[in-house]
Amino acid sequence: MKIIACYSNKGGVGKTATSVNLAYAYAQAGKQVLLCDLDPQGASGFYFRVKPSKKLTDARFFEDVERFTKAIRASDFEGLDVLPANLTFRDFDVFLSRMRNKRSRLKKALVSAGSDYDVIILDCPPNFSTLSENIFKAADEIVVPVIPTTLSERTFDQLVSFFEEHKLRKKKLRAFFSMVQKRKILHQETMESMRKLYPKRFLQTTVPFAADIEKMGQHRAPVSTYAERSVACAAYRALFDELENGVVSTQ
Amino acid sequence: MQEHKKTRGGSTERGMAGSSEEVFFLPSLMGTSAVEAALPGFSVVVEQVGVARPFALLDCHDQSLRAKGRVLIESGGALQLLQKEQRHLSQNCAGKGRFVQDLPRGPVQAALSGFPELRAFMQIGTGEIEEKSLTVLDELQKTQVKGTIWCMSSPTGQMTIVRLQQLRGYERAYQKVRAAIADMSVGEQGIQAFYVGLYPDMDAYQAKPEIKLGKTEPSIEVAADIIHTYLKVARQNEDGVIADIDTEFLHDYRVSLRKIRSVVSLFKGVFSEDQTADLKRVFSDLMAPTGRMRDLDVYLLEKDMYFNLIPHNLHPGLQGMFDRFQKERGQELSRLSRRLRSIDYGASMDRLIEMFDGIGRLKAGPNADRGAYDYACTLIWKRYRKVCKIARSITDDTPDETVHDLRIDCKKLRYLMEFFAPLFDAKGFKTILKPLKKLQDNLGLFNDYSVQQEALLAFAFQQSNAQGRVDTQIGLAVGGLIAVLDQRQKSERNRVITSFQHFDSPETRTLFRSLFHHKKE
Repeated sequence: MKIIACYSNKGGVGKTATSVNLAYAYAQAGKQVLLCDLDPQGASGFYFRVKPSKKLTDARFFEDVERFTKAIRASDFEGLDVLPANLTFRDFDVFLSRMRNKRSRLKKALVSAGSDYDVIILDCPPNFSTLSENIFKAADEIVVPVIPTTLSERTFDQLVSFFEEHKLRKKKLRAFFSMVQKRKILHQETMESMRKLYPKRFLQTTVPFAADIEKMGQHRAPVSTYAERSVACAAYRALFDELENGVVSTQ
Repeated sequence: MQEHKKTRGGSTERGMAGSSEEVFFLPSLMGTSAVEAALPGFSVVVEQVGVARPFALLDCHDQSLRAKGRVLIESGGALQLLQKEQRHLSQNCAGKGRFVQDLPRGPVQAALSGFPELRAFMQIGTGEIEEKSLTVLDELQKTQVKGTIWCMSSPTGQMTIVRLQQLRGYERAYQKVRAAIADMSVGEQGIQAFYVGLYPDMDAYQAKPEIKLGKTEPSIEVAADIIHTYLKVARQNEDGVIADIDTEFLHDYRVSLRKIRSVVSLFKGVFSEDQTADLKRVFSDLMAPTGRMRDLDVYLLEKDMYFNLIPHNLHPGLQGMFDRFQKERGQELSRLSRRLRSIDYGASMDRLIEMFDGIGRLKAGPNADRGAYDYACTLIWKRYRKVCKIARSITDDTPDETVHDLRIDCKKLRYLMEFFAPLFDAKGFKTILKPLKKLQDNLGLFNDYSVQQEALLAFAFQQSNAQGRVDTQIGLAVGGLIAVLDQRQKSERNRVITSFQHFDSPETRTLFRSLFHHKKE
């Protein structure tokens, strides 16, 4: 089982869109996927039309295996379930380690309910907290969308420093440029300088600024379900390919 | 209004983990509005998936799948199996004309593992499937329940199959939809609704149809009833023999005719002497052209067994022998098919069926009017006494001929009991038939081994040249087989006395006396 966290310490960078579209791409590739909506401002659940559960806000929730498994909702798409948790929670690392442990009650309950997830995607809240630190430790990969602007450059610097200070493995950081506008010289220059500064942190794939992605709010569904031939759809597919198979497609 | 719907229903056959499935059989075609009316607060979307495609309903001749409450459909290069209270199974492979043991491994093949190995899947019905996706949505247009609808039509009827998929986290909605759909199924429930809805006139072939007898019914009427019934059974197997679907068609055809012959010969004095002789000849002539083909079928079916009997280095000769059998079977089949298709044959069968429809065309013998029950008791008691007399005389030194005689008489006893079974207490019959069947199995094997040795010898002679020399490979294989078969025959022979003693228990004796010999003495 693989845990992928979508994280950004800056809001409005396309993090939730990334979680939703990546989750969908993994499910389309035949994986059993659980998308956990951890961001109180986020809208992963919203995009799948799954209503947030009111009962999930207390901490004990994660210890109550039965309540946890009952809170999972099937999305409209084969192999993709959503946990509309919508919570801030300190012991999330405990939950994640239980998900990994084959003998834990949580894992057994999920397996017996037929949900032996191959991939867990976390839509994380945008701040540095105990929760984020725990997630950084537990996740296999941390996918970080970065808008190529000066401000984003600074926040990414902060994230890398945070990793260094807390002795976290920087290798897990898989950043990519998000909401890219090719015609903006600033975007091009920022991308160039950041790739130079962090040659190993950035994926080759970039996701453009696209109306089709913004429309997710109207459609309440992953991009490829309503704009299959769009540039945005191809970009998310390429992102999945590069993350999963190391294949860099020429866009 | 539902823009993102296009991708729905395009699901693969990959099972949805964590979701369960239920199947509903609905009479005629389901209306969406009726479902929606039963589900306030939800919207129901039904969308066509692809185009209507033909399907073939598969089963064997005696419909053992239907009897077990199953439906097997071949459509678009895949087999679909529906069964009571179980998940629908699908497997990409062809099924028509195949045997269960020849299907590639897969979920349908695994579920069908109990299917008779001698029977091939044949097309017993056709029709069209229109697949539709069913989606039940809440006010956010979120899918709460998914389903697949198969609108099925045949030349004789129509019906709908709904498979509902429970989605994790939406159990309450599922229960509501489930109840609404279940309410729509009226009349025949479950799998039988499928058969009744699509093929209301389809009769299942029965190799042993029930024949109603009255205790005082004149014996000639009983004889006519049985013969008439089995003539029709025989006819129902002709097409399958010609199409060479499986070997059971010819087997059942022969068993039917054999039963008729035994009625003619065992119901002594029921028909006039002339007519009895006449009928014996007619039915013997009907059966004769099928004998060689059946023998070859048996050899070919037992091919693996033969190969296991002798060591590997004798196998080339055996292969040569089976190649010749296979070729000869082809010739026999075309000969027999020609005969079964001939106008003469058809006319003579029609004449016979007409002849035994009632007793008007039959010539009565002295026992014709005897009451069935009384006559049955006499015949069965007499045959039983004969079986006992022969069996009790058998020692280790008795010649094989006597053992063969015992086998024939046991067979006659069995047939008589089966013919008249409706007149007697079923429980007592069952108690007697069990050890009788065992004894017959024993005698049957004894006979098979003996017949096979003779056949092998005949085959070797037939293959030899003018100087009486035979191909070494074949000679070795045949010799090896005969040696093994002779050993087997001897060991079956040794078991006959014990088998009979088992049959000849005080309990069986008392039962025979009370069932068939209570009036006199």
